[in-house]
Amino acid sequence: MAHVDLEWDPFRSGDPGPLIDVVVMNSQGVIEAGRAVGLEYPAPLKMKALLDSGASVTVISKRFAEYCRLFQTNEGSEISAIGAIHHCGEHAGSVSFPGTNLRSFDPIRIVSAVFAKERHYAILIGRDILRNWKITFDGRDRRIMIDD
Amino acid sequence: MAPNAAFAIELAVFDQHREEWYRSHPGCFVAIQDGVIVDGFFETYAEAFNAGLRKFGVQRGFLVKQVWATEPVYLVS
Repeated sequence: MAHVDLEWDPFRSGDPGPLIDVVVMNSQGVIEAGRAVGLEYPAPLKMKALLDSGASVTVISKRFAEYCRLFQTNEGSEISAIGAIHHCGEHAGSVSFPGTNLRSFDPIRIVSAVFAKERHYAILIGRDILRNWKITFDGRDRRIMIDD
Repeated sequence: MAPNAAFAIELAVFDQHREEWYRSHPGCFVAIQDGVIVDGFFETYAEAFNAGLRKFGVQRGFLVKQVWATEPVYLVS
C-alpha cells in the first residue's frame, strides 16, 4: 500500500491548491509499437499537477499534450468550466507520480484543453484518478495524505 | 460538437451506429479507424484503446469513444 504526504497551506495568499509532481507521457504500448516502426517520442517531463476534485476527468494543458505528442483518440469533446464550454482533445497516455510509490495509470484517457494564464500547474488530476485513492486533508498541520 | 477534420470519418461511423449500440451496450467503449470497427464492446477506455492499438497500430490515430445517447460534457469547476 502506497502512502504520500504532501504539504498544502490553503490559507496562504495565492495558493493554487494541492499540487503533486507527475510525469505524463504516451502509454507504454504506444511507445513500444511506435519505436518498432521508427517513431520517436520526447523524453518524459516532470510537471506539477493540481489534485482537483472538481474535475470529472484528468485534463492536461494543450501545450503540454502537444509537447508530449500524446496519442490522440478523439477531438471536439466539450468541457464545461465556470459556465463556459471549451472544445478539447482526448488522448491515451500514462500518468505516474515520481518520488512516490503510487501506482501509475497506463493507459488512461487524458483530455487536453487550453489553460489560460495558469503558471502553477500543467495538469488537473480529476476524479477518474482520485477515485482510486483515500485522500485526507489535515487542516491543522496543513498536509494532504494520499493512500493508494 | 466542434467541426472536426481529424476524426470526421470515425465520428460519422459512430453516429451511424449510435442508437443501435446504445440500446445494446450503453456506456461501453468502441474503437474505430476509418470505417473499420474493432470487434466487440469494452467496459473501459483502457480495454478499448489496447484493442485498437493491437488492430490498428500507431501510424495513425483511431477513435475511442464511449457509447451514450447524447454527447457527455466533462465538468471542471
